[in-house]
Amino acid sequence: MTRTGMATAFAVALALGGIAPAQGQQNIEKLKQFKVSGTDLNIPPVPQTGKNADAIRENLKRVKLPPGFKIDLYAIVPDARHMAVAPSTNMLFVGTRKTTVWAVTDRNSDYVADEVKAFAPSLKFQVPNGVCWTKDGFLIVVEHNRILNFPAAEFFYEGPDVAVIEVVPQGQLIPPEEESFNHGARACRVGADKMLYVALGQPFNVPPREKLELFKKVGIGGIIRLNPFDGSKREVYATGVRNSVGLDFNPKDGSLWFTDNQTDGMGDDIPAGEVNRATKPGQFFGYPWKQGRTRITENGYDKDPLPANITDPQVYTDAHAADLGMTFYTGKQFPAKYQGGFFTAQHGSWNRTKPIGARVMFTSLKADGTADKTEIFADGWLDENGIYRGRPVDVAVLHDGSLLISDDFAGAIYRVSYPQ
Amino acid sequence: MWLRFPAAAALFGAAAVSCAAFMAPDAAAQDVAAGRRKAVACQACHGLDGIAKQPDAPNLAAQPASYLERELRAYRAGTRRSEVMAVAVKALSDVDLRDLAAYYSAIQIEVKAVPQ
Repeated sequence: MTRTGMATAFAVALALGGIAPAQGQQNIEKLKQFKVSGTDLNIPPVPQTGKNADAIRENLKRVKLPPGFKIDLYAIVPDARHMAVAPSTNMLFVGTRKTTVWAVTDRNSDYVADEVKAFAPSLKFQVPNGVCWTKDGFLIVVEHNRILNFPAAEFFYEGPDVAVIEVVPQGQLIPPEEESFNHGARACRVGADKMLYVALGQPFNVPPREKLELFKKVGIGGIIRLNPFDGSKREVYATGVRNSVGLDFNPKDGSLWFTDNQTDGMGDDIPAGEVNRATKPGQFFGYPWKQGRTRITENGYDKDPLPANITDPQVYTDAHAADLGMTFYTGKQFPAKYQGGFFTAQHGSWNRTKPIGARVMFTSLKADGTADKTEIFADGWLDENGIYRGRPVDVAVLHDGSLLISDDFAGAIYRVSYPQ
Repeated sequence: MWLRFPAAAALFGAAAVSCAAFMAPDAAAQDVAAGRRKAVACQACHGLDGIAKQPDAPNLAAQPASYLERELRAYRAGTRRSEVMAVAVKALSDVDLRDLAAYYSAIQIEVKAVPQ
């Protein structure tokens, strides 16, 4: 990162006010001024060996991969959700839907994590699911209703107090009265335009009509973009999305791809899930009038004329499979067919009669940058009795070109490699 | 079907004993077994062991069956609101609700520590 970048960021951080009764907010005010919060310097590590690790390794024997690939346990990380691999060291940050962001470190570079500790424990996170990096090494953490930015996080995280910038203060990402447990986990990416892109799920299975105008204005049920340091220049980038919890830019053409979760309650086999491609601001992806190939019946949206300007999905996925995190494969370790395509994680259905999902998919692209074929890459966390042994949430490429898979059910991160 | 799960079979036995006073043991065990099969649609959030697997879902293990059945009915009637539960109970019959309540209430738990 540049020194001026950091200086600007801190000036911005200091200029921002903060109202704050809670201890967490008092701490953030101290950390914004580089003062210590008084938090215990010793952050307890998560045990990486023992009965739990052994049981998870045993479950991994069920996972099927294409020939030549292997999967190993990379780290025990409770409630592991979205991942942000550090730009210049062998560590990553992992979000959760609870109150912790984990710092996961591979100290001896053997591609197994040695240390898993809470990141910035003096701050009280609320559903810090979304983690991503700016191009110059600032870690962004998107909570349910706040966005924080941590300069040089991969160097400062060893102690409990870290430098922090409040990008969007508590209660200003969405109107506080729209806060909801349902679909409240965010995902983020920083684009080539240096803007922060955040997917905001809408909190209903199908939104009621009286909420549509507000949601469209705020970007709920869509993707917003904003300056990752001061939250300025916020605008709604994409609309017509139900609940996206995964997005990534294709480094080749800059298009923004994102997954969307399937509507519940319409039976086992509809509607299909979506992987979409946004090529410019202002595109509309059809929800709640249409998802996959299905008109949505709840609240009578199927009785309305179909809006004319819908951008259709690139990939139709299995109904209820719950496509979440995604990443373009930017590594060199995997065979040529995987290079330039993308991986998506399917969390798995929750109340489908016969459960489906809990696997990682791969999609290749055509020369024109649109989706070609989608196939199963890793499968086997759903056992023969329909019971989950794990539920993949996110995928991320490590520096050596291997692929990490997070699992919030088992509380683990796996690593898929292609040994020569 | 439930014979494939030895641990669960032991569980059904325990439930059958505790219900023996007011219900034929076989009938009670049957409810629990049926509930276990139906709980595949609940496991993603509440766990097959009744310990929540998602932060926005409560533990159900060892909750009284009467409470669970009453709340499930309330979700179905719309008098207790939840986006997720509204979908989950929509197609469930009275028998389904009773079986699920019987299953989750039959799970035995132990409190290990209470903060002083």
